[in-house]
Amino acid sequence: MDLRLKAAGEATRPRRTLWGDVWARLRRNRPAVVGLVIIILMYFTAIFAPLIAPYEYDKIDLENVRAGPSLDHPLGTDELGRDVFSRIVWAARSAAFVSIAVTVFGLTLGILFGVSSGYLGGWVDTLIMRISDVLFAFPGLLFVFFIAATIAPTLTAWLRSIGLDDLARSDYLDYLVVIIALGLVGWPGMARLIRGQLLSLKKREFILAAQAIGVPTWRIMWRHLLPNAMPPLIVAVSGGMGAIILSEATLSFLGIGLQPPNPSWGAMLYQYYGYWRTELWPLLFIPAAVLVIIILAFSFLGDGLNEALNPQLD
Amino acid sequence: MASVLEVKGLKTQFFTQDGVVKAVNGISYELNEGETLGIVGESGCGKSVSVMSLMKLIPIPPGRIVGGEAIFESRDLMKIDDDEMRSVRGNKIAMIFQDPMTSLNPVLTIGKQVSEALELHLGMSKSEGRQRTVELLEMVGIPSAADRVDDYPHQFSGGMRQRVMIAMGLSCNPQILIADEPTTALDVTIQAQIVDLVKKLRDEIGMAIIWITHDLGVVAGLADRVVVMYAGFIVEEASVKDLYGDPRHPYTIGLLASLPRLDEERGRRLASIEGLPPDLIFARRLPFLCSLQLSS
Repeated sequence: MDLRLKAAGEATRPRRTLWGDVWARLRRNRPAVVGLVIIILMYFTAIFAPLIAPYEYDKIDLENVRAGPSLDHPLGTDELGRDVFSRIVWAARSAAFVSIAVTVFGLTLGILFGVSSGYLGGWVDTLIMRISDVLFAFPGLLFVFFIAATIAPTLTAWLRSIGLDDLARSDYLDYLVVIIALGLVGWPGMARLIRGQLLSLKKREFILAAQAIGVPTWRIMWRHLLPNAMPPLIVAVSGGMGAIILSEATLSFLGIGLQPPNPSWGAMLYQYYGYWRTELWPLLFIPAAVLVIIILAFSFLGDGLNEALNPQLD
Repeated sequence: MASVLEVKGLKTQFFTQDGVVKAVNGISYELNEGETLGIVGESGCGKSVSVMSLMKLIPIPPGRIVGGEAIFESRDLMKIDDDEMRSVRGNKIAMIFQDPMTSLNPVLTIGKQVSEALELHLGMSKSEGRQRTVELLEMVGIPSAADRVDDYPHQFSGGMRQRVMIAMGLSCNPQILIADEPTTALDVTIQAQIVDLVKKLRDEIGMAIIWITHDLGVVAGLADRVVVMYAGFIVEEASVKDLYGDPRHPYTIGLLASLPRLDEERGRRLASIEGLPPDLIFARRLPFLCSLQLSS
């Protein structure tokens, strides 16, 4: 009787998939869930910025400069009378756009070079790894500054030459410069991570077993190797997106990233930095707090994903 | 009986920083249709490397197949290109491995892995492949196979996984199944089940089998003919009956002497062959010294 009950229970047990398991574990991790909610909120804000923000990010109101919080302006206004709340909301759009574009850019290069390097080995591996060594040799942020500061004229000329004059306008160009600079510096990390994963995975017996049933090389890479390399990659991407948002803020704070009037939390920090001591309403702390919360959120989510994807028994 | 595979003078070497490792030193044997050939020998004798060379699955570099032929379907496997070799692997010559715990991809379902060869070699669609996969899993004795095709490898026990590996190996009705110590990682009762399963399937399907093992007991119950390897050479080749009844080579005698017996006297120490391959070639393993003749 008992045995039969057990067998029946066995048969009706709900099927759990790999990702279902990960989600179930992630859900039990409170900081990670809070982080995830904040991140979703940020991207939601980014997508619906025109609907959420009460004003345009560049609407100047000189009658009403450096005002404190009010019903019209919940977070006050800056020295040109622009609504700070609206600018924070629009800046979420910049951060979201830059973080996704840089991740896609860096990940594409990283996967392409990492997979080639790790699986093919030989001179391909040597070439790619030496290039990434060279990129790694520069201090990361310094290299980003260098690219960001020097690429703009080249990029403008190139965009004009291929007839994309619209993109060469400064408000778009800023984004392109930031994305290219961060992406170029970011891919070697991804490539090395993937290469390391593949180097250990390709020696595993199930890859030999796949070769033994005649699976072609490219199919082994994409179907057998890459899915196994996913967990650390997902963790790296989650942590990396926070780092990208911080880097964009750093670049913009130093004046080589997004330029006003483009909205950016980093640029706002610089803008408010000049008069934070003299004001009763310390504007400086608003973008700073937003940045801290979002970077913490990514960090918590990254930790949570790491635990959820690599469950260890205590 | 017609032979399906004829190996002539196969030589595989590994070129490492510390010198050349001569893993397989010109071995020759024939495999007849429907026959089961056992390859025995202790660890490091080149058993695995010799069959991996047939499948051209040894890592290159450092490995290289230095010479020899393997005639299969009137062409030399050593001379055909990668694409042709891929269409042989899994399709006409299949292989199962030692450790079923690591031979299945942990992120793909059982069904996807078994049907991969069907889709690749027989051009089946996903749904046809799936249907055939269920039949194959039933054939190797996996209960409620239709429910279990969507399970992941970690939901299977070791013996069940080896059954899955066998289903994968047999999916395209190969002429030859190469089994590289398929029972070594399993416990004794499961070993017996797997051996019985392979016997049953061999009688149904009629493929030839190359069974690598260092378990002489398994070979005795399964193989028709046995090849004994030492240090990359074939030292003796005989039918199972002759090998066990009348072993000729001192190494074979040594191997058989090192088998524990049920009717063993209590307290007697089990015989063993001292040292590691290829010591015998350098005549360090003394009990065999006097009568050893290796051609090298």
